[in-house]
Amino acid sequence: MGLFDRVFRGSDQMYEKAVGEFEKTLAELGEGAPLQMPDTAYFMACIYAYQNRKITKLGDLREALDEIKARMVHEQRTGDVFSSGIASVMAAEVIEGCKYAGGRRPYEGTQYHGHFSDAEVRELGVPLVTQDIPGFVVIIDEAPSDEEAAALIKGYQNRGIFVFLIGGVIDQAARSKIQMGFPVRVVPVGQDIWAVGHIISLVVRAAMIFGAVAPGDWEAFNEYSFHRIFAFVNAFPPLPDITVACGAGAIAKGFPVITNVVENVWRVPKTIIIQENVADFIETSLEARDIKIKITDIDIPVAFSTAFEGEIIRKKDARVDINGARVDCFEWVRTKELHEVEDHRIELVGPDIDEFEQGATMAVGIMVDVAGRTMQSDFEPVFERKFHNFLNCVEGVMHTGQRDMIRVRISNDAFDAGFRIKHLGEVLYAKVKSEYDTVVDKCQVTIVTDTQQLRELRAEANKSYDKRDMRLRSMTDENVEVFYNCILCQSFSPSHVCIVTPERLGLCGAVSWLDAKATNELDPNGPCQVVTKKVVLNEEIGSWEDVNEAVAKYSHGALERVTLYSILEDPMTSCGCFECICGIEPASNGVTIVNREHMGITPLGMTFSEMASMTGGGVQTPGFMGHGKHFIASKKFLKAEGGIARIVWMPRALKDIVRDRLNDAAKELYDIDDFCSMVADESISEDPDTLLEFLTEKNHPVLAMSPLL
Amino acid sequence: MAFKAVPQKFAAKINALTIGTGEREISLGGENVFPFYSFDAPIENRPKIGIEIHDRGHYAGVPGMDAYYAGADTLAQTAKRAAAAEGADFLAVSFDGAHPDNGDRSVEDCVAAIKEVADAVDIPLVIEGSKHIEKDAKLFEKIAEALSGRNILVMSAREENYKGIAASVGLAYSQKIGAESAVDINLAKQLNVLISQMGVKSENTAMNLGSAAAGYGFEYVASTVDRVKAAALAQNDTMLQMPIVTPVGSEAWTVKESIVSQEDFPEWGPREIRGINMEVSTAAACLAAGSNAVILRHPESVKTISKLVSQLS
Repeated sequence: MGLFDRVFRGSDQMYEKAVGEFEKTLAELGEGAPLQMPDTAYFMACIYAYQNRKITKLGDLREALDEIKARMVHEQRTGDVFSSGIASVMAAEVIEGCKYAGGRRPYEGTQYHGHFSDAEVRELGVPLVTQDIPGFVVIIDEAPSDEEAAALIKGYQNRGIFVFLIGGVIDQAARSKIQMGFPVRVVPVGQDIWAVGHIISLVVRAAMIFGAVAPGDWEAFNEYSFHRIFAFVNAFPPLPDITVACGAGAIAKGFPVITNVVENVWRVPKTIIIQENVADFIETSLEARDIKIKITDIDIPVAFSTAFEGEIIRKKDARVDINGARVDCFEWVRTKELHEVEDHRIELVGPDIDEFEQGATMAVGIMVDVAGRTMQSDFEPVFERKFHNFLNCVEGVMHTGQRDMIRVRISNDAFDAGFRIKHLGEVLYAKVKSEYDTVVDKCQVTIVTDTQQLRELRAEANKSYDKRDMRLRSMTDENVEVFYNCILCQSFSPSHVCIVTPERLGLCGAVSWLDAKATNELDPNGPCQVVTKKVVLNEEIGSWEDVNEAVAKYSHGALERVTLYSILEDPMTSCGCFECICGIEPASNGVTIVNREHMGITPLGMTFSEMASMTGGGVQTPGFMGHGKHFIASKKFLKAEGGIARIVWMPRALKDIVRDRLNDAAKELYDIDDFCSMVADESISEDPDTLLEFLTEKNHPVLAMSPLL
Repeated sequence: MAFKAVPQKFAAKINALTIGTGEREISLGGENVFPFYSFDAPIENRPKIGIEIHDRGHYAGVPGMDAYYAGADTLAQTAKRAAAAEGADFLAVSFDGAHPDNGDRSVEDCVAAIKEVADAVDIPLVIEGSKHIEKDAKLFEKIAEALSGRNILVMSAREENYKGIAASVGLAYSQKIGAESAVDINLAKQLNVLISQMGVKSENTAMNLGSAAAGYGFEYVASTVDRVKAAALAQNDTMLQMPIVTPVGSEAWTVKESIVSQEDFPEWGPREIRGINMEVSTAAACLAAGSNAVILRHPESVKTISKLVSQLS
């Protein structure tokens, strides 16, 4: 016999039981006996929700039962199974409802809870909606042993999951002295399987209250619970047909069933899951229903707060000095498959701090493995860069650098308070899980202090960093599908919009295309949104119709057009936090670039601040443009005006930063060797005349280019 | 050439948000023109004025207020007096005392007090919290439950606690929510989006964009509110079409001009007059910028602004 037939047979049994109870109660109380579930404005909620029928007296159930029967279509279609499942739950509600007919209170004085009041629905509904309660479980019948039942219930409690119990598991919980009741979030609903009527009654009322789902809208109720109510079922033997029928109802509502019953059960991915090991029920269940447990506490012996971010630990106060410049150290985020990661496993390989002498230099490599359905390896560097902030917030820990050039000091006070190496892992685990919960489902941390292993691992990490850098370098504006905007700065520069592309990072220098992408995926309503580039207007100057539309939208109408590669025609605006300003130098037809740190004057006769005053504020000033340092060596820099060959002057310090990449780009674009030596700096010139002399002497390519203006 | 007036009315309009019940029910917003541009099209609902009271008593030491509230010992009695103020459209009750640093008044106490208030007055109620994120989330939930059916506006849900407030106040008890953000159009919009994603209808949300006392960086407020209204009307940005409610009293009565005593600054004149002037000028500026409602402390300010509004609309 197949699964479908079990559902159909079970639903018939539930219906017969319902009719039997109805007839019996009718004989006892009569058609007109009032039928009002206590403290609810939603009548018998399952019937109200799915049939849009308001039951007020016992006799009203007759027509409701007819409709239930009509819903129990027994053909071999999946829809019939779901329909029969929901109908079984309605029949269950009829059975339970009869007990309340005539104003009776069937569960008063028993250990069972029975019907939930509207107040309870709201009390549970609010944290379910906000996900402060990440979900709820319905445990049906007896676990293999009392101990396993207790461990299961406590495991859910520890994770904040609300627990409903039906059947034998209630006695098991009672024998294990587990406290039960609505306030402690473990509710013994009823002894028989029809108690599920009360639970689904709660679910559909939540849909009506919180989702404004209209009674009678069958699909909408199932949709709402699938998307908004993170519930699932744990079913133990014997798992009779009638329970299977209710299980079909649960599945129709989007609640997977996890069971240890093997016989006559068919596995359906994400829906019916056989887990023979009861100890693994929790993890299997959470994964099946995509429930992520929020991390609120960080398990470390010292305080964690942004207040400690700027804390300096002197050498004499440091218990250990983790120094990437002297020994093998690294921080490395690795994307793994879900099954490769054991959530919250923190492992130390090698000696701990207490095995080192006071003030010793220590080698530490930290590997943070993350897995998640929507995780992308592009996020790895984004997470890694945040480690600096995460670890700095620990009282008594100072962190600088990234990748294999980290420096971490752990203070004597922190050590005395019990801080050990594994606590670095606790911090990273908790922060990665909570900050990136939209993409990280599981996270484990391995910390290696064994110098032998570190050498090999560091080399491996470096390979991975190189691969990432390669990817970054190989990305061009042409080979990505979309750009992103960034409007983080609009709070003080209201009409400014950055368009971030692989070859043009945000002008602050802090938001690369990958960062913007990650920001968008992690915070879909945040400051970075997708900007398409489907309709090309002029690729040479970097002009797209969709980019213009985005700029108009995000500047609230202040700007209508921008080009991404021109300084003259609708140049991109600047907020105020640009790393560099580029301005046209009329005598040479080139441009000078000055970085924020440079205090002196430029050949334009202006300092950085003076140039900034005409560039910022979100207005377009043709001839001036703010940008990030790394944009200088981009092939898209002033592409419309001839590219980087226009650069005639830069402060020396800036030249040093961009030299290699700029020289490479010039070689590739113009076949010029050592282009930077043709670019003047403050030691060569601070006025147009000597600048022009220098350029002539060096035969700078700009002299052969057409006039800018 | 003769001047030809072209009415600047928009196809889009600000949502009309109703608070209160029965005869005292009021609507905020609803207009499709810039503030007070009644020459372009009729203003759907004139801007409304709220009078603010505090669970820790009114601002003692201001003689006019002392006199106005003399003999009112409980929050309910104070509420009754405030509700009778000339020009007050709604009553805003602030629970400063619930803040852990200000006495940490229990949620139960606050609920009991607001229930008495609700029994004593029929004027629409706006609830202001303690400005403590966690406490407010709990407080608002319980107050929204206790005042079920009174159609109150709860000020405010912020980025840190909007989820709980949206779910409880907005969904579970169908009350109105004020979304509070820093003075920033994008943050305001983001919060509106987030709250609407929780399932709260845009028509049931107001915005509190924040304010500053006149002379204390008000240009910033003016330009933000300006841009919000322009985006809402000219660009039909549905996530910025919520009416704006601006608490003014808390800004106007905490700046130097309203605090220092006459003994210290004799040439400045009586403190009370200065405070009222600050409150009136800030409120007038907010309304001119686009606030659909202002919340004021001094009955005299309420009266003055009410006169201004009725003459301008």
